[in-house]
Amino acid sequence: MMGRIHVVTDSGSDLSLKVREDWAIHIVPLTVQFGSEIFRDGEEISTAEFYRRLQTESEIPSTCQPSPADFVAMYEKIAEPGDTIISVHISSKMSGTYQSAVLASTMLDASIQVKVVDSKSASMGLGLVAVRAAEGVRAGKNLDEILLDMQHVIDDLQVYFVVDTLEFLKKNGRIGMASALLGTMLSIKPILTVVNGEVAPLEKVRGKTKALKRVREFILGFQAKHPDKQIRASMSHATTKEEADQVVEALSLMLPGEGDVLLGEIGPTIGVHTGPGVVALFLYSI
Amino acid sequence: MDVINGVTLKNMLLVAARNLNQQKDTVNALNVFPVPDGDTGTNMSLTLNAAVKELERAENGEIGRLTTLLARGSLMGARGNSGVILSQFFRGFSEGLSKVKGDATGEDIARAFMEASKTTYRAVMKPVEGTMLTVTRLAAEAANEAAEEGADAAGVIKAALLGAQESLADTPNILPVLKEAGVVDAGGQGLVCIFEGFWAGLTTSPEEMEEILAEQQTPQVDTADLARLGEEVLVNKYCTEFIILGEGIDPDLIRQEFDSKGDSMIVVGDESVTKVHIHTDHPGQVLQFCGELGNLTEIAIDNMMLQNQEFASHNDHHRLDYAVDNVVGFPQTASTNGEPKSVGVVAVVAGEGLAEIFRSLGVDHVVTGGQTMNPSTADLVEAVNSINADSVIILPNNKNVIFSAQQVKELVDKEIGVVSTRSAPQGISALMYFLHDGSLEENVTAMEDSLGEVKTGEVTYAVRSTVAGDLQIEERDIIGLAEGKIAIVGANPDAVATDLVRTMVDQDSSVISIYYGADQNAEDAKELASTLQEGYPDCEVEVYFGGQPLYYYIVSVE
Repeated sequence: MMGRIHVVTDSGSDLSLKVREDWAIHIVPLTVQFGSEIFRDGEEISTAEFYRRLQTESEIPSTCQPSPADFVAMYEKIAEPGDTIISVHISSKMSGTYQSAVLASTMLDASIQVKVVDSKSASMGLGLVAVRAAEGVRAGKNLDEILLDMQHVIDDLQVYFVVDTLEFLKKNGRIGMASALLGTMLSIKPILTVVNGEVAPLEKVRGKTKALKRVREFILGFQAKHPDKQIRASMSHATTKEEADQVVEALSLMLPGEGDVLLGEIGPTIGVHTGPGVVALFLYSI
Repeated sequence: MDVINGVTLKNMLLVAARNLNQQKDTVNALNVFPVPDGDTGTNMSLTLNAAVKELERAENGEIGRLTTLLARGSLMGARGNSGVILSQFFRGFSEGLSKVKGDATGEDIARAFMEASKTTYRAVMKPVEGTMLTVTRLAAEAANEAAEEGADAAGVIKAALLGAQESLADTPNILPVLKEAGVVDAGGQGLVCIFEGFWAGLTTSPEEMEEILAEQQTPQVDTADLARLGEEVLVNKYCTEFIILGEGIDPDLIRQEFDSKGDSMIVVGDESVTKVHIHTDHPGQVLQFCGELGNLTEIAIDNMMLQNQEFASHNDHHRLDYAVDNVVGFPQTASTNGEPKSVGVVAVVAGEGLAEIFRSLGVDHVVTGGQTMNPSTADLVEAVNSINADSVIILPNNKNVIFSAQQVKELVDKEIGVVSTRSAPQGISALMYFLHDGSLEENVTAMEDSLGEVKTGEVTYAVRSTVAGDLQIEERDIIGLAEGKIAIVGANPDAVATDLVRTMVDQDSSVISIYYGADQNAEDAKELASTLQEGYPDCEVEVYFGGQPLYYYIVSVE
């Protein structure tokens, strides 16, 4: 008889506790390191505490991927022999987490099948792929169907994010092609995207208001390109609640009848690289 | 003098250059706008000097050789709109003389004047009457008439001078902005200075020429020109003509009604017939109003802009051929530097702070100038050639540099795109859309599209007393210009800047940037920024050192 299918992702997905519980999605945390102090994201350091330290401490923290042993421990904890695990992770171009999971998948007893998937995204982009997988599990789809659904999200996903500063992306070497935006003297708000799993520059804009306005225009453009389809949207942020609420409200107005906008707070795993003040939008069509 | 030989022609040009150089301050003072950077005289003088300098390369005194050098020298030395037009004048003048074998007769000289005038008209997208264009035309007509009546070379030159003087005096009657400012056209005055020099050069003794040659050197210049007339005047693109049949129509009533809605208006009539001619953007309104006064007949509406563009595009081929024929020998590739790239960017910027900002935004080569000194076409050519790229975008950042930037296309092997940025903030805005991996065309289009996103304000002082609309301006008053038009007059730069920003901000505004000038201190600028931040809490207010001369502040609202 068929075993169960489990969905595992990592703390780079920024899924809220509620979403994780609703969809039975398991999280393997990355670790965040401030100097010699090491914390498991979400377990040993809260998001609020993390941003407080990020802004007050001179040293920039770093992240570390989970070890294969961490994955093995998670897989063995949740799966019985005959079960299948879909382990979907932050873009392999941004983190070694995917590699670690692939390694772990080879260390397991052959009775548990693990499909490791590269989301080619991060934050709620990854979150959306994981939720899509969980939806398939709940709908009783088989593994191939679920993987196909996930691949569609990965291929169709559009990411737009605005950072307050490129400093954090730069310090952590996660800037990719966006390095062209560095070194300007004006306080420019870059609008970034993710292309082939890497951060890439989309536009430079002066002022956050204008940047958010542009992002709204991108959403309208995406909508126009998919007139007959349902659009799933998600937003993650590391900004004030007011600003986040404003964006979500605007988003809900723009995408009426498209279901709830999945909202996530950017946790330490992603926050280390993007810094405070980030607003990120993720869209795909079905 | 029956005919003119090469030596005399050279003398004429040398004396003209000296005369214009001596008179350039007078010409500068004629600028319609009282801003401190309006130096038509300086631009024309530098352009002519560059041309005259080129004449030194003439190995012999042949007219053909001299005119080739004259055309090339003025083309490369052209600065500012008036300089570019002058260079086109000399180009046409040279073409008119190109077939002359031996000495030039009165007829040859008249043909040169005619050709010169035609070339200037062709070079301008929207020719405006009452400017130096008109002066070239009426001078040429006078010269032609004299030649037809059998005048010798000297007589033709004399006729051209008289025609130019007469036409110059009439420019305020043609262009209302001149009348309002109480001046004649500056470019036209510059031409008259040149023609005076031509005339004097005919009779200058060899001893005097020696002196002129000795003193002929690059003049010291401190400021340059923004010649602001031209485009503003000919926005009205529909030439609208018709006749109203009706008794007792008051022409003044029509004049008053449309005074502000068009230009080049002529309303004449008698008891029963009134003829109306007007250049307007609203021909429908004109017809409706007049239709209520009587029966309209012989209605003709022409789009002058399209006509001019057609004319200009026809002419492009011709210009290109000319450039290839005549500019051989100019070093096309100076030293190129930097990594090879597909699209490079040249920006014209005044002020070290702004220059630094432009460099930080990815500009490969900053050419200093704009508000103080308009760069010459040769300066831009050099900058373009110094970039290791096959395509180069030029950001003129000043309306008086756009025309010179466009001339570069003819003079280099590279593909050139000119984004018509009229201010540093527009240049910055355009650079936001520059993509390193985009094509020249994509980039130029995206950058052009961005120009409406930012509003530019400038705070400077008035160089003379004048009236601008409802504003009475005294010399040394602080003036604030929004999008190039005087909007605020006051006594203090910070207060004027504050008031100016008020006219520029609307509900869509999100960023206010202040670039403070070379003579402005940082504390005042920061104080201004915090005042503005308090006034506009929804906007981000940023303050940067611009280092620009003459302008206390350049502000932008986007």
